[in-house]
Amino acid sequence: MESLTPDKIPRSQQAISVLWPSFITAIIASGVFFSAFNPRDLVPFNLDIDISPLAAYSIGFFLFWLLASLSSFGTLYFTISNCRFLNNQR
Amino acid sequence: MAQKENTVEPVLYEAHKKIYPREVSGYFTRLRVLSLVTLLGIYYVTPLLQWDGRQAILFDLPARKFYLFGLTLWPQDFIYLAALLILAGLALFFFTALLGRVWCGYACPQTVWTEAYLWMERKIEGKRGQRMKLDKAPTSAAKIRTKTLKHVVWIAFSLWTGFTFVAYFTPIDELAGELLNLSLGPWETFWILFYSFATYGNAGFMREQVCKYMCPYARFQSAMFDSDTLIVAYHPERGEPRGSRRRSVEPAAVGLGDCIDCNVCVQVCPTGIDIRDGLQYECIACSACIDACDEIMDKMSYPRGLVRYTTENSALGKRQHLLRPRIIVYATILLLLCGILVTHISQRVALDLDVIRDRNTLYRETNDGLIENVYTLKILNMDSQAHVYKLWVEGIDGVKLVSDRPEIEVEAGSVYQMVVRLQADEFNLEARSVTVRFHLQAKDGNHLKTVTDARFVGPGKS
Repeated sequence: MESLTPDKIPRSQQAISVLWPSFITAIIASGVFFSAFNPRDLVPFNLDIDISPLAAYSIGFFLFWLLASLSSFGTLYFTISNCRFLNNQR
Repeated sequence: MAQKENTVEPVLYEAHKKIYPREVSGYFTRLRVLSLVTLLGIYYVTPLLQWDGRQAILFDLPARKFYLFGLTLWPQDFIYLAALLILAGLALFFFTALLGRVWCGYACPQTVWTEAYLWMERKIEGKRGQRMKLDKAPTSAAKIRTKTLKHVVWIAFSLWTGFTFVAYFTPIDELAGELLNLSLGPWETFWILFYSFATYGNAGFMREQVCKYMCPYARFQSAMFDSDTLIVAYHPERGEPRGSRRRSVEPAAVGLGDCIDCNVCVQVCPTGIDIRDGLQYECIACSACIDACDEIMDKMSYPRGLVRYTTENSALGKRQHLLRPRIIVYATILLLLCGILVTHISQRVALDLDVIRDRNTLYRETNDGLIENVYTLKILNMDSQAHVYKLWVEGIDGVKLVSDRPEIEVEAGSVYQMVVRLQADEFNLEARSVTVRFHLQAKDGNHLKTVTDARFVGPGKS
């Protein structure tokens, strides 16, 4: 059988491989970040915003998830494109 | 080569075949159900427990306090939480080395909720054969009714799960009140729905795929395994050659082993593998195949244990070692960390003092010719009752502490901020910057004391 390459993984599993590890990372990152900083003391970009703590934690979590997803997506993208490139060369 | 690649379509993961685990009964199944029901009970009951007039376990995010029965943890105590996580990880290593994937089969939330959802599915759609028949059947009113009922029950259970999850972060009575008044906050609503959806998807649909494709532990657990780790295994020497035969036939008489090839062990498997193919990473060691096979062996009047809990060494007839370096090392580290954590928490002082020197002015000279520095103190009383504290300073001969608050009283679980001035004779200052030590102690408890160092800045020796 031909050796299997990541570019042949179904789309749904590619999506999971981006979203799932970044989800775990976002949990750890929010835990560490919000233990060190109280959202009440944070004034992002000098904006005068008044939101509830739960909203601040939630938005923080999703920002971390987004950032980690971008990184996971980058890894997946380069893995797949490199696989295609190497396959074409053979 | 390139041509060949185009014709051979490699398949990385086989197309997903829905698994219909067959119902099973027996000793290990009873043990497993006991474990699953206990864990589910703990999850749903914990937020209902009360302690000292508040929820016993509550991660109060807005107030930034974690309540664990009598213990209140602050963000400063983050290290305990981190230590607890490390401890949990180590415990997982230890139990994996000793008992194999006992976590996967008996305690993992993925298993616990999958089994709960399977149980509901069974109650509504029937046994394995009935479920398979229903899925194959053409759409009919009866099929839609049964399927709708299943999803309604699943969604209701998911919503209860999501509600309970959020109740670990928002007091459950408040949350229930808001729910009944239909005045739930937007984020609380969002998280209830988010967690419900995750439960519904993971336990209702993804099931064994989470273990096979998403669980990191499933991939690296073999690193903790050795030849003395407990595994679920088939006994090929006894079972092979497998084959069907009539009951009460001596296997040897027909040239067969004890395995009658009834496939029940495959049908009960929640991950859809054949245990007779040997140790596989999909196996979550749920032991359903052991009970299933024992039942068949009983029917055939063969001895039990064709599929059984064993170890690699025991299966090969070698000596077993319970105490081996790996176990001893894991256990030692585990006990050591436990000891350190318990000692630390028991000696934790429920008092914290932050000293911030006024950075606007280096120092000031008073009318009496003394050098003065200004500090802002933040006193954090982490105890569950109010205290009156005394404050004193050392580090400079004859240093004077001036404060407009004669009495420092701090409410339970709150922060108290005050400004103090230190005055010292220039003659007593050894250098431009000297360390001063602030002492804070509760008047009613000698153990409630803390010290914090700060800088005192003067003109320096000329």
